[in-house]
Amino acid sequence: MIKEEKPRIRISKRPIWSGRITIGLVNVPVKLQTMIFDKGVTFRFLHKTDNSPLKYEKVCIKEEKPIPWQDIAKGYEVSKGQFVVFDKEELKAARPESDSRIRIDKFVDYLSTDPVYFDRSFLLLPDKSDDAYSLLLTALQSLGKAGVGRITLKTKEYPVLVHPYKGALVVTTLRYAYEVADPSEVEDLKRLKEPNKAELDLAVKIVSDLSGEFKIEDYRDSYKEKVEELIEKKMKGETIVVEKPVKEEAAKELMVALQETLKQLKQK
Amino acid sequence: MFKKLTKVEFTNLDKILYPELRVTKAQVIEYYIRMAPRMLNMLSNRPVVLTRFPEGIEKEGFYEKDAPMGTPSWVETYRRYAETSQREINYIVCNDLDTLIWLANLAAIEIHVTLSKTDAFENPDLVLFDIDPEPPADYPEAAQVALLLKEKLDSFGLRSYAKTSGKKGLHIIVPIIDGYSFAQTREFVHQIAKHLTTQSEIVVSEFTESKTPGTVFIDYRQNSQGRTMICPYSLRAAPQATASTPLDWGDVKKQLKPTEFTISTVVKIKENPWKGLLDNRQKLEVG
Repeated sequence: MIKEEKPRIRISKRPIWSGRITIGLVNVPVKLQTMIFDKGVTFRFLHKTDNSPLKYEKVCIKEEKPIPWQDIAKGYEVSKGQFVVFDKEELKAARPESDSRIRIDKFVDYLSTDPVYFDRSFLLLPDKSDDAYSLLLTALQSLGKAGVGRITLKTKEYPVLVHPYKGALVVTTLRYAYEVADPSEVEDLKRLKEPNKAELDLAVKIVSDLSGEFKIEDYRDSYKEKVEELIEKKMKGETIVVEKPVKEEAAKELMVALQETLKQLKQK
Repeated sequence: MFKKLTKVEFTNLDKILYPELRVTKAQVIEYYIRMAPRMLNMLSNRPVVLTRFPEGIEKEGFYEKDAPMGTPSWVETYRRYAETSQREINYIVCNDLDTLIWLANLAAIEIHVTLSKTDAFENPDLVLFDIDPEPPADYPEAAQVALLLKEKLDSFGLRSYAKTSGKKGLHIIVPIIDGYSFAQTREFVHQIAKHLTTQSEIVVSEFTESKTPGTVFIDYRQNSQGRTMICPYSLRAAPQATASTPLDWGDVKKQLKPTEFTISTVVKIKENPWKGLLDNRQKLEVG
């Protein structure tokens, strides 16, 4: 996956996809925009001796030299070292046709959808279709429902959920059922016993005492903050002292204690 | 150079075990090394039960009765069916300095010992009066009851020994000769406790009354095979890093502050109030 070097938090003007939501015979033209940005700390690899950036290359393991793009094929490993080979054209032919549609099959209660299936969300904006867009959004909001359907993005067809989020429609791609493990097969869970009444009452009380509103802003990326602080220090020219574990020191003190105790025990 | 002094391979020495005092595992190990000359006597040939706090005392600890996986071959163990657990337990026996250091390195902050030894596991060699105050009763009330108990034991001609529990209570010990059963020692303690309830209003002798606010329970129940008491000088998993500390009877008074006996103060105590305890085995006049 190619990541933007400096992800922006503003929503860009350029849609990454445009098409329409189709519900039976009804169409709502929409544009799709990126709304998830991976903003964790990222580093580039450098050559230690002169700080020049390193690049990735696809190196043939037999000839030990980089191979140009046009000489690369794709192989599916059927068993160790055994490949079924495809060229790009063959795979292109197998790709699902993008028909610029989000086909909604049915509507479900949004709260009944499980986050384990959520993959990635995209913002849907009206494409000269303000009335239809507003109508669908308002209907979903008032019913607490989400549309379940399909979309084809680039080379893959995804199940999707179309749902309201902060006054907009959002499409979230979903994982297929085969991509998610089924915990009911796990032995450790099959053994679980019913808790007794008193314990359950206590647990319920603890949970209700700690209940509150979901506020994602309460959580901070402390590693990112720390690294950013260090970056600023480095830019100001401060050297950073790496705290070495003090193991040696601690071990030395223990040795002194050991010598004294051993002497005492011998005297006895 | 280290290897010559101990067989133990130290790990995670910088781990903070007492967060409030910022006491590290290295300091806990050093404490046990320094206390070893006074502890090994009591530990000798007694199965131990550990309370381990590998993530420090503020995180959940766990009891460990069995020698854990990876116990080195030089650590002595004692295999015995335990009525209390309904299964065979492979106890650790701490008979040397290396084993004590190894326990400390396991973050076994609390070391509990049985009241009998492996050579006669059914026959206790120690009788324990566990004096346990129920809030608002606290150490002063426990001391008051301990002194009352001592007087009683003195009247039987029995020499008794006191230690702080490391928490609010006191433990009174009477070393005894071979041949008694736990049923007998348990009954002995229970009878004396019952008698003391007639001498003082705050004393209770029954477990069912032990949660009555403001009372002091003389607990006889630990006098059972496989049951344990906190080893003298063992640390406790309390924020102040207190230790269960043997006391001179002269020091068992209401004004004493048991929280002052800690990882940093106990090592400085020169006297050993329990000197000769294990050689002073006495006859119990039961019934």
